Amino acid sequence: MNTDEQLVLAFQGGSREAFEELFERYREPVYRFFRRRLDHPGRAEELAQECFLALLQNVARYEPRASFRSYLYGIAMNLVFAERRKAGREISENEKLDEREDRGSGQATDAGILVREALGQLQHDEREILMLREYEQLSYDEIGALLRVPVNTVRSRLVRARLAMKEQLVAIKDGD
Amino acid sequence: MDRSLQHVFDAEEVMAYLDGELEPQRAAMLASHLEHCAECQSVARELRTVSGRMLNFEIEPMPARVTAVVVAELRAPKKPEPARALGFRQRVWAKWHELATNRKVWGFAAAFAVVAMAIAIGSLPTLFRAHEANQRVSELSAPAPQRQTRTGASYKSWVHKDEAELQQSQQALMSENMVSTAAAQPAAEPAPPPAPPQSGDTLQSAESVGPMIVQTASLSIVAKNYDEASEAIGKLARARGGYVEKLDAKAQTGSARELSIALRVPAKQLDGFLEDLRQLGHVEQESQSNEEVSAEYVDLQARLRSAQATERRLIELLATRTGRLVDVLDVERELARVRGEIESMQGQSNLLQHRVSYATVQVELSEVYHERLQLGVSTGTKLRNAFVEGVHNLEDGVVGALVFVLDEGPAILFWLAVLGLPVWLIWRRRRARADAKG
Repeated sequence: MNTDEQLVLAFQGGSREAFEELFERYREPVYRFFRRRLDHPGRAEELAQECFLALLQNVARYEPRASFRSYLYGIAMNLVFAERRKAGREISENEKLDEREDRGSGQATDAGILVREALGQLQHDEREILMLREYEQLSYDEIGALLRVPVNTVRSRLVRARLAMKEQLVAIKDGD
Repeated sequence: MDRSLQHVFDAEEVMAYLDGELEPQRAAMLASHLEHCAECQSVARELRTVSGRMLNFEIEPMPARVTAVVVAELRAPKKPEPARALGFRQRVWAKWHELATNRKVWGFAAAFAVVAMAIAIGSLPTLFRAHEANQRVSELSAPAPQRQTRTGASYKSWVHKDEAELQQSQQALMSENMVSTAAAQPAAEPAPPPAPPQSGDTLQSAESVGPMIVQTASLSIVAKNYDEASEAIGKLARARGGYVEKLDAKAQTGSARELSIALRVPAKQLDGFLEDLRQLGHVEQESQSNEEVSAEYVDLQARLRSAQATERRLIELLATRTGRLVDVLDVERELARVRGEIESMQGQSNLLQHRVSYATVQVELSEVYHERLQLGVSTGTKLRNAFVEGVHNLEDGVVGALVFVLDEGPAILFWLAVLGLPVWLIWRRRRARADAKG
C-alpha cells in the first residue's frame, strides 16, 4: 500500500486515481473533523467539500517535508478558524450545548452527548490538542507542526487535557 | 494523580508511552516498571478509559454530495492549453497561418468580395442621383448675395419661386431615395400587419425582454344582448391568440343569467382585447393590476442553471467512475434528486413565463335584469297557489283548534267547575233573596 506522500507525488505526476485514493482515505475523517468542531451539519459538509477542493487546487505545491496529514488538517484547521472568526465566537461554548443537541448529529447517543459536553468544558488549546490526538490520531510532532507549538508543549497540554477530560466526564455524569 | 506526577515516571510519560511517543529506551524502562507499579497501572488505565470513552462521540457518514462534487472537480478537464506556452506573437502567427492555409476561408473571402462588388456597382446610380440632388439643394440655398440685389415684388416672387423649387427638389430627392432603397431591399421593411402573435414568439419575448410583468384585468359587464355577448367573449379571445381558462355560467329561474369567465390572452393583446370587451355592453366595474416578477424569474433561472451544472457534473462522474458500487449508487441517488429539483424549477419557470406572456382577464357578464323578473309565474299559477295555500291554512286552523280543545279542554272544565260552582251558588242565593223581597 502506498503512503499518503507517495500518492500525492503520483497525483502531482498526473494520476487521478492517486487523488481518488487519498480522497477515499480521508473523506470520512475530514468530514468528522468538521462535524465535531462545528454546530451546523450543513456547514460541516460545505467546509469538508471546500477543504478537498482547496487540497485539489493546492496539492501541486505540496512538498513532502511535512506529513500529508498535517498538511491536510492544516487546511482544515484554517477553514475552521476562519469559520469561527466569521461566527464571532467559539463553537463549544456552554450556552450552545443545548442548541447543539437539538440540531445534533444523526447518531448522537447519550454517551456521545456526554463526551461533547465534557469537551465543551475544556480550555480551548487543550481541547484542540486532545481532539487532534484522539479523533484525528495525529502524532505529537504533527500536532506541534499544525498548531505551531513545541512538542513538549503538546505533550504537557495533552496530559492536562486528558486528566481534565476524565474529571469532566465524572462531573457531568454526577451532575445528571 | 498528584502523587503519580511526583513518581519516577510521571503521568505525561505514561501517556506518551501509551501513545507510542516515548523514546525506545525510556519506553522499555517504563514497560518493565508498569508491570509491578500499581500506581502507574492505574494512571494508564484512566488514560485508556478516557480515550475509549471519547470514541462515543460518533459522527454519521459524510453525505454523498461532497464526494460527487469533489470527484467531479477532479474529473473536470483542466489540461494546460498548449497555446499558453507560446508567446503572443507566435500564437497570432499560428492562427493566421492556420487561416491562410484553410481553403474554406479563401472560398468565403472570394464570395464576400463578389457580393461586395455587386452591391457597390448596384448602388452607384443611386449615389450619383443623391449627389446631384444635394448639389441642386445647395445651389438653390447658396446665392444669398445675388438676392440682396433684387427689389420689391420681383424679389419676393423670386424668393417664393426659389422656396417652391427647393421644396419640390427636396421632395423629389426623398421619393427617389425611398424608391431606390425599396428597390434594393424589397423585403426589408414590409408593412407590419396587425396579426395576432403566436404563442411561441410571445414566450420567447417574455424570456428576453427586460422587466417581467404579470398582468391581470377584471371587468364586470352588463350585456346589451346576453346571448351574443357570451358567445362573443370566447371568440374574441381566440381571435387574439388567447383561450378560455375557466367558465362558470348561472341561469337560475327568477333571476338574471350570469357568466363568470376567466380568459388568458397574450399580454401584448391585452389592451385591444379589453377594448373589444367594452363594446359588449355597459362596463360596471373595471380593474387592472401589474405584478413585477423579474427578480423571482432571474433567481429561478440562476438556481436552475446551477442545478443543471451539477447534473452535468454528476453525469460526467457516472460515465467515468469505475469505483465502488456504493459510490456509484450514491451518485445516482444524488443525480435523481438533482433531476427532480431541475424539473420542478423548470415547471415553475414555464409557469412564470406563461403568466407573463398571457395576461389573465376575468369577465363577469350579466344581463339586464328587470325584463325577466315576472317570467315563469302566471296569474293562474298564482291563484292556484293561493287557493292551495288557503286550504292548507284552513286545515291547519281546524286541526289546531281541535288539538287545543283536546289538549286544554279537561283542565278548563275542571277550573270552571272549581271556580264557577261557588259563583253560581252565590248568584242563585242572591236571586232567590231578590225574588223573596220582590
